[in-house]
Amino acid sequence: MRTPIAWFVMLSGILFALGSLGVLIRRNALLIFMSVELQLNAVNLALVAFARMHNALDGQVLAFFSMVVAAAEVVVGLAIIVAVYRRRQTVDVDDARELRW
Amino acid sequence: MVGAELTSAAVTPTLGLLWLVPALPLAAAAVNLFWGRRLKRAAGWLASAAVGAAFVLSALVVAELFRLPAQERLFVQHLFDWIRVGAFRVGADLRLDALSATMILVVTGVGTLIHVYAVGYMEGDPRFGRFFAYLNLFVGAMLLLVLGGNYLLLYVGWEGVGLCSYLLIGFWFEEVANANAAKKAFVTTRIGDTAMLVGLAFIVWRFGTLDFDPVLGRAGATLTEGAATAIALLLLGGAIGKSAQVPLHVWLPDAMAGPTPVSALIHAATMVTAGVYLVVRSAPIFEASPVALPIVLVVGLVTMLYAGTSALAQTDIKRVLAYSTISQLGYMFMAAGMRAYAAAMFLLVAHAFYKALLFLGAGSVIHGMHGEQDLRAMGGLLRRMPVTSATTLVGVAALAGVPPLAAFFAKDQILEIANHTGRPLVWALGSLGALVSALYVGRLAALAFLGRARSRAAERAHESPPTMALPLVALAVGAAAAGALNVVPEGRLAHLLEPVVGAVPHGEGIPAWALSTLGGLIAVVGLAATWVVYASGRVDHEMLAARLEPIPRMLGAGWYVDAAYERFVQAPTLAAARFIAGVLDARGVDGLVHAIAGGVVGIARIGRRIQTGFVRSYALVFLFGAIALLVLVGARS
Amino acid sequence: MSADQLVFWIFAPIAVAGAIGMLLSRNAVHAALFLVVNLFCIAVMYLLLEAPFLFAVQIIVYAGAIMVLFLFVIMLLGVDRGDDLREPLIGQRPLAVILAAAFVVEIAVAVRAGIGFATMAPEGFDAVNRDGNARALARVLFREYFLPFEVTSLLLIVAAVAAMVLAHRRARAVTQAELERLGLLEPPREEAPSP
Repeated sequence: MRTPIAWFVMLSGILFALGSLGVLIRRNALLIFMSVELQLNAVNLALVAFARMHNALDGQVLAFFSMVVAAAEVVVGLAIIVAVYRRRQTVDVDDARELRW
Repeated sequence: MVGAELTSAAVTPTLGLLWLVPALPLAAAAVNLFWGRRLKRAAGWLASAAVGAAFVLSALVVAELFRLPAQERLFVQHLFDWIRVGAFRVGADLRLDALSATMILVVTGVGTLIHVYAVGYMEGDPRFGRFFAYLNLFVGAMLLLVLGGNYLLLYVGWEGVGLCSYLLIGFWFEEVANANAAKKAFVTTRIGDTAMLVGLAFIVWRFGTLDFDPVLGRAGATLTEGAATAIALLLLGGAIGKSAQVPLHVWLPDAMAGPTPVSALIHAATMVTAGVYLVVRSAPIFEASPVALPIVLVVGLVTMLYAGTSALAQTDIKRVLAYSTISQLGYMFMAAGMRAYAAAMFLLVAHAFYKALLFLGAGSVIHGMHGEQDLRAMGGLLRRMPVTSATTLVGVAALAGVPPLAAFFAKDQILEIANHTGRPLVWALGSLGALVSALYVGRLAALAFLGRARSRAAERAHESPPTMALPLVALAVGAAAAGALNVVPEGRLAHLLEPVVGAVPHGEGIPAWALSTLGGLIAVVGLAATWVVYASGRVDHEMLAARLEPIPRMLGAGWYVDAAYERFVQAPTLAAARFIAGVLDARGVDGLVHAIAGGVVGIARIGRRIQTGFVRSYALVFLFGAIALLVLVGARS
Repeated sequence: MSADQLVFWIFAPIAVAGAIGMLLSRNAVHAALFLVVNLFCIAVMYLLLEAPFLFAVQIIVYAGAIMVLFLFVIMLLGVDRGDDLREPLIGQRPLAVILAAAFVVEIAVAVRAGIGFATMAPEGFDAVNRDGNARALARVLFREYFLPFEVTSLLLIVAAVAAMVLAHRRARAVTQAELERLGLLEPPREEAPSP
């Protein structure tokens, strides 16, 4: 109540930037995936902050949906990583570049 | 003027069956094409029955037609609208008049006999059913050609018979020579066909229609002399190709590669006469031009003499007959060129009988000698193949013009008309041609049937089966009696054809009886001379031929026309093609294409370096794009 | 500084530190735990933003279920393997840092231009959250967002099936010869089998 909304938005931006960095820098598919989760959470935070700002619950509902979709995405994504690992014995994304040309 | 004066007859139940005449052979062709293998021998009988039924129907329909008064002998059966483009329309119309009636009777009549003969001749061939499918298809297309009520339908039949000719010449395509002969026939006639197609386009341009009635009825009034000459010569081009006239005759001798019934049906009796039919049918267009008919006359005359002399020195029995056919067709063109259309048609009918007879006889000889076609290996067949020999000798006499057989009247009338219309040179050369034809056909008969056997195959020759012998007898009767159709130039056939093709030209000259006597004498003298040289044993004809070299060799090679084509047409064409394919196309066109392709490949080779395959690089660019987009959005708001 | 602000300033640095820890940790399990810390801090932020329902969901779904799933997979694929921290792509790291910084700056500029750094949240959120946040959220969710809600349930089923299909290893038939070679089966004897 006493906290400026901008602070939350800035925190969200910083976390999103850190998540992006994780995606760009880490080579382990699992860590990249975690970074993606971090980005998603940053966006959720921004959504809830905006909900607070506008005195409406739609932002919260959207964040809620985002969580559900994230859960589904994690399930499928991890399954893909497991399948890739079984075939290639590695989760390094730099190794998977067969489709380049 | 002709044709247009006729009024179309009302449809009667019998006339209404006209469409069945071409439909029956076509249907049988379809059946034989799909089930011919399963039908086995029945395929041949089915085909024969279909053509036979077509003949009976033709006879009925024609009889019905001739029951009408002379000026009403025209029946046009409109089957359906084929093409309708704006004001231009082409119907699938069948047109029955005296001219097409003559043709369908010849085609179906001679066709039936040849079909029956082929059942025996083609016995045991692995593609028996297919052969009859093609043969039926040919008859159907030929009937369409002569019954077509407009030039386009005629052209359909025209190309149809060309296709069948190709398929049947190359029927035994396992031999490369046969396949090449088929190709040669197709390509050579195609030259003429293309000219004809251009001619049809001219007709559409000038008349706006392709129907015979308006085109031929208004030809003289609509066409300028130049246009008439152009159209007539283009149509003549097609006729020259199809009827193997000089200079497009080269395919016909090679076409003898096909089975002999094919040679008889297509390359003697029917298809090759389509050119004559076309000229006669299109007579008003030819007459509208001052030069077209003289050109027809000259073409016919040259062809007649050229082919006749070439026939003198052939050793293959079928090639003798092939050159003979060309020569006889030349006679028909001569007649047409003198406006003696009825005489041309008369010779056409007579020729269909005796040339089919000669070919079938030759086929029977070849059959009896197990494939031997060389005249030098024959001899003395009269005793071993009596029916074949006797009937073929009737054909020989008929062709030579021995009175009172068919060609005596037919040729005689053409020569008489030549003499009586003030063309003494044509008459003289025509008489010379008649002598030449008596000589070559006499030589053929003497070498094949008389004298002593000159090979083991000739000694062991056997008579052919009844399915082959019976058509021979029937054709022999026809060849002997066909003269009765038109005993004098203004005879029965000429009279029947008059409403369509006009009256026979006449004039004054040497009395007809003198000309006839001379004609008969020429035939008898020619035949007697060949008997003396080739069969009596008193002259060593091989020595004689050797002493006359190089004339026999030149004649045997058809005056080296083929060689000349090879040298002056084929070789330069091939060289040009090779230049275009090897240099212009490979270096020029392909070079350009390759250069463009190479350029694209080169650019792609550089461009694909962006695609590193590292997902994280892509993500980096992606993020950069997202940020740049945000900056852009922020800057605008 | 109010209590709210105090809580913010305690947990915001922890959140950032957690994110940075995840970013830099060599071990995947450590990274996952750092992420849990971060997610927990974000949950606290939800509380500050008067979204207690999402606070609970965040802890249960994210810190609980999802991260446990991550840990399972990490264990499955082997934890002992340290991540290779070398960077084969030239310029990837500096460019990534520059872009991340640019992003933060951009957000800062946008926030400054949009709402300003001092703007407080408006009053009256209690009215929105009447009868409690969960009820209020349910009212919105099941009235205005009912169709998306149902579609989401379908999505979850599809995801579950997809995960099974993707991760399921089809059992390969093992031949007798292979078992013998591995010594798991004795070679067949010559005498007749016992009745």
